[in-house]
Amino acid sequence: MLQQAMYVAAAIVFGIGLYGVLSRRDMVKICVSLSVMESSLIMILVALAYRPDAAAPIIVDGVATYVDPLPHALALTAIVIGAGVLSVALALTVIVHRAHGTSNIAVVFRRGR
Amino acid sequence: MKMGHAAAAIIALASSAAVLTLTLVFAVTGGEAPQLAGAMTSGSVAASGSVNVVTTILLDFRSLDTLGEASVIFASVACVGVLFRGSRRIGTEPGLGVLVRRSVGYLSALFLLFPLYIVAHGHLSPGGGFQGGVSLAVLLILLTVAYGSRPMATAVDPSRLHMTESLSALGFLMAGFVGVLQGTSFLANAAAGFPRGVPGSLLSGGLIPVLNAIIGVKVASGLGSIFFDFQSERGE
Repeated sequence: MLQQAMYVAAAIVFGIGLYGVLSRRDMVKICVSLSVMESSLIMILVALAYRPDAAAPIIVDGVATYVDPLPHALALTAIVIGAGVLSVALALTVIVHRAHGTSNIAVVFRRGR
Repeated sequence: MKMGHAAAAIIALASSAAVLTLTLVFAVTGGEAPQLAGAMTSGSVAASGSVNVVTTILLDFRSLDTLGEASVIFASVACVGVLFRGSRRIGTEPGLGVLVRRSVGYLSALFLLFPLYIVAHGHLSPGGGFQGGVSLAVLLILLTVAYGSRPMATAVDPSRLHMTESLSALGFLMAGFVGVLQGTSFLANAAAGFPRGVPGSLLSGGLIPVLNAIIGVKVASGLGSIFFDFQSERGE
């Protein structure tokens, strides 16, 4: 039940992020929306790892069940790659702002035409 | 709401519903917990001597993937560096008042202790090279904000940070080649003769603490040089 609620929450967060990417025209807001979408992926991974009454995957004497450690490792990878993507996207935003005086891509495209 | 926003809302709703359906279908038909999770959890201590299963997966079972992950950081640092080429890499931020500067100066020892702890205990508790490296880069950013760009850029040369990052990437590769020289596979841990140690103690896990330290240096210098690129001024 908890897992299903987490999937629903992740889907809602994904939708919010995608709406932001599609509807906003400011590059900073697009970057924010991208990282919102990315956090929905991490929510799904956390929900996938969940086991009822299980402990965190650090071996301790006297604990029988642990949560699935593999999604946690994948979440770490996803966070690192998300940080790399975000840094390049923000660098592009700064470059566009320096060249055009605005980070609104609609304005930039209208001028370029 | 403009027409474009309505279309965006419809697409976002549709894909959100698709994500929900896919995950719920997987959750219903996925069935029992896969065998792999249990095998990784129970095999972690035997394979590497590290009690943290996530760290064992990242730096022992799938350490080649972590090398790829580290090269993603390398690539993004290089990409940001190329995008900001021609910029003066020393900003002109003046820094904050004397109160902030003194308190950050006193607290910086604690701010340094925390990432060192996170990196050193990566095989014992949640944490590791990536997390510790990020908090070390935060210390660099905090000092720059408090003391201003110019004193920090003279204390920590931004181009030397690039060099440190490349050298630690090389260090990761060389730590991996120890396994090849020992006659086993690339990035082999216990098989290459690294001592497992007593599980749960600080000196355990064989190659894992070494790789954690290398990744910590790499992430800290990489994110630090990205930060210096971002606060640079337009050149020429």
